[in-house]
Amino acid sequence: MKTEIRGNASSLPLQTSSHFNSSSQNPLAGALHGCLGNLDGACIEKLLLHCASALEQNDVTLAQQVMWVLNNVASASGDPNQRLTSWFLRALVSRASRVCPTTMNFNGSSASKHRLMSVTELAGYVDLIPWHRFGFCASNSAIFKAIQGCPKVHIIDFSITHCMQWPTLIDALAKRPEGPPSLRISVVPSWRPPVPPFLNVSSEEVGLRLANFAKFGDVPFEFNVIEDLHNPSYDNNSSNFHYDMLLSILNPSTLGLRDDETLVINCQNWLRYLPDDQKGNASRDVFLCMIKRLNPRIVTVIDEDSDLGALSLTSRITTCFNFLWIPFDALETFLSKDSIQRAEFEADIGHKIENIIGFEGGQRIERLESGIQLSQRMNNSGYLSIPFGEETVKEVKEVLDEHASGWGMKNEEDMLVLTWKGHNSVYATAWVPSCGFDEE
Amino acid sequence: MPEIMDSSTAVNDSTVSGDASVSSSGNQMPPPKAEKKKRNLPGMPDPDAEVIALSPKTLMATNRFVCEICNKGFQRDQNLQLHRRGHNLPWKLRQRTSKEIRKRVYVCPEESCVHHDPSRALGDLTGIKKHYFRKHGEKKWKCEKCSKKYAVQSDWKAHSKICGTREYKCDCGTLFSRRDSFITHRAFCDALAVESAKEPVAPPSVEEEPDPQTVDPSPPSPPVQSPPSVPTSSPTISLILPDQTPESQDDPIPQSTQAIDDTPTPVQVASLTASSSSSSNNGSTRSTVFASLFASSTASGSMHSQPSGFTDFVHATAQADPMHDLGPSLSIEPTSLCLATNHGSSIFGTAGHECRQYALPPQPAMSATALLQKAAQMGAAATNASLLRGLGVVSSTSSTGQQHWNAQQFESGSASLAAGLGLGLPYDGGSGLKELMMGTPSVFDPKYTTLDLLGLGMAAGGGPTGELSALMTSIGSSLDPASTYGNAEFSGEKYGRSS
Repeated sequence: MKTEIRGNASSLPLQTSSHFNSSSQNPLAGALHGCLGNLDGACIEKLLLHCASALEQNDVTLAQQVMWVLNNVASASGDPNQRLTSWFLRALVSRASRVCPTTMNFNGSSASKHRLMSVTELAGYVDLIPWHRFGFCASNSAIFKAIQGCPKVHIIDFSITHCMQWPTLIDALAKRPEGPPSLRISVVPSWRPPVPPFLNVSSEEVGLRLANFAKFGDVPFEFNVIEDLHNPSYDNNSSNFHYDMLLSILNPSTLGLRDDETLVINCQNWLRYLPDDQKGNASRDVFLCMIKRLNPRIVTVIDEDSDLGALSLTSRITTCFNFLWIPFDALETFLSKDSIQRAEFEADIGHKIENIIGFEGGQRIERLESGIQLSQRMNNSGYLSIPFGEETVKEVKEVLDEHASGWGMKNEEDMLVLTWKGHNSVYATAWVPSCGFDEE
Repeated sequence: MPEIMDSSTAVNDSTVSGDASVSSSGNQMPPPKAEKKKRNLPGMPDPDAEVIALSPKTLMATNRFVCEICNKGFQRDQNLQLHRRGHNLPWKLRQRTSKEIRKRVYVCPEESCVHHDPSRALGDLTGIKKHYFRKHGEKKWKCEKCSKKYAVQSDWKAHSKICGTREYKCDCGTLFSRRDSFITHRAFCDALAVESAKEPVAPPSVEEEPDPQTVDPSPPSPPVQSPPSVPTSSPTISLILPDQTPESQDDPIPQSTQAIDDTPTPVQVASLTASSSSSSNNGSTRSTVFASLFASSTASGSMHSQPSGFTDFVHATAQADPMHDLGPSLSIEPTSLCLATNHGSSIFGTAGHECRQYALPPQPAMSATALLQKAAQMGAAATNASLLRGLGVVSSTSSTGQQHWNAQQFESGSASLAAGLGLGLPYDGGSGLKELMMGTPSVFDPKYTTLDLLGLGMAAGGGPTGELSALMTSIGSSLDPASTYGNAEFSGEKYGRSS
């Protein structure tokens, strides 16, 4: 099934001859160039596959040997493949050697060193590449359309980007010809999984700034932080993130719903953290069912388009590698190798990789499913998809035009998908409950 | 400039320009640099797609698409197809075209390129051509205003249109070329907050009338009160909190309890959710909010209440489950949520347990052993090369991804294996990686083309911990070349698995 390694020493010209003064000093220069010196993704992928397979089979020796080789490939400051590989290696090492605790301890017991950003730093972060902005734009546009004619709107925001999505919506509402509605945004900080990006201020502070901004646009605005009873002292470092209990607050009064408001639910890069084990913890479906009962006008779901929830490590590792090359490649196009912003963005992806590769069971909180799978799930849960209108498509295209030219978009089956050089990266969908309530 | 055509494709809709002859069946004329491979594509959305690697010459050619009827050349396939319709082809011929073309994806001929890998192939010819120019081509087009250079003309055109035209400037001085970035930044920028704090805000609307119920001084900075009946543009922060009593502060963010007009420090505003139903009046909520703000904020009002207060709230709402005293010390392991029971055990146990029920994906064609052997040879050369660098053999650096890892890795330093293996990896610990690699080059000597990579010959078959310590010992000792060569041979027979 897989290709042969193309690192065949005999067939390759020596491109990097500048490395050597004379070829007589290095009889294996050709071989160097062939694989490690010129490593391509297929080669690394094979190595990763071998390593994962070895780990699954309890073959420590082989696993370590492959890791050694990968170590020679990986580089935090090399080309995108090398950088990506370095994060994979880190995850594998973490997995294989629990005796060496890493900085990413998902048990939550040790104090992890998370990088905290200021709000303006985060604002820049989410716009580095359209990875987040695409979802913001599509979702805001769909929401904007759905709430037309509604005087009061309540958005419950489930996301990991600390409300970075909302300024542009507030701005759009402020500029509406018919004037803005009253807008209320609620967040549940304790439901935010312990993943980067992290802020150095509280949700309340974020809300304050949003409120300030809304005031300048004359948008009646209110910001609510909903505390979860069962998770009172949420802090970024813990993984006390007990979804089954959290779901008990999904009712109108605890959420502070008001009868005269139109409800909007926004799930941005968040739904994937709801457990969905085949073994019985189906929080994801329960969540969808419960919010459906709240009769939202629209539910937007944005997430990354890849199936990373497989039980088998080997299949996860290759899928993950063949997906996360995208942001690494995109960052390479316009940021230098020693760009700090780039390194930070990549480190956060590394955090994700470490969880996907390095952990199992309840600690593996990254359980991404593809857009198609999610659509299926929504349909099964009693939602109808709302197609994106031309306006939305146009807006998203305009946003993408402002970024590097490899970014594109497809619109298929009522799902907008962000593509990088044709490869799917992020999907955006909008939904509405398909019929009346079930029994409450 | 010939180009490889797939012999199974009967109809060629793309031939090379300048060549007036038309081939209606596949013709194979391998040019010196082109190669074509057909393979399955793991990770590709379309595993049946045909992978095509065109030569650089071919990629740079224009007018590749030639009409077989009149030999007119086109730069794009779409244009050719449009043109072909004008010939009123019999239905059968047209039909044949669409049926027999398989989805094609293109890889970059440049071996070092990320798009040389089939799973990173690009789906259309234009894409791969543009990519090739952008990444590997010469930047011939230059923007007049900012001197930025482009290899692809359309990129240059697109840039020139917007260069200098759209610039958004925040009050803080930062410039933005993208509107959304600007708006988002501005919303959170200190400049905005300061601005709102400074002005006593006298816009025409009623909103700035301070609510008499509030504890003064409450200058109209966020949150601002407004008379209940006119909920205009005054923003409000409210925290739905079950408990109003002052609590100990967990939150590391310093809370300021007065002068909310100063800087936008987090102002805690708590609403009495217990008593407010969903139809509570906005205004009364807010005024109550303010009262309780100052009540609770004196004790550094924390957003994170102690659980004891929750009991009351819980009873009050009568909807939540009566969970008592879920103190912060409660830590239900996330793993209790699901049925995975061996989360804490060694990964080998866990992974093996989970995966046994599932068939492993097909193993790669090249066996692990062979792969490692090959890599070992190359690794030897690689580190050898790096050793040469370390000895002062200078290479010219290139600015693209061609710059190899070994250029950065070698500085003097003692190896610390623990650092290298687990703690010193990317971003926040590049030094560990360097150290590990520094440790290895002394192992290699050009005349040894194979080696026991990790010196684990003596430790095979041990438990995970034993293996790891053996690994650490052996690599540590590998700093001394003599000891390593005792286990020099890389023995494939240790690894008796089939793939």
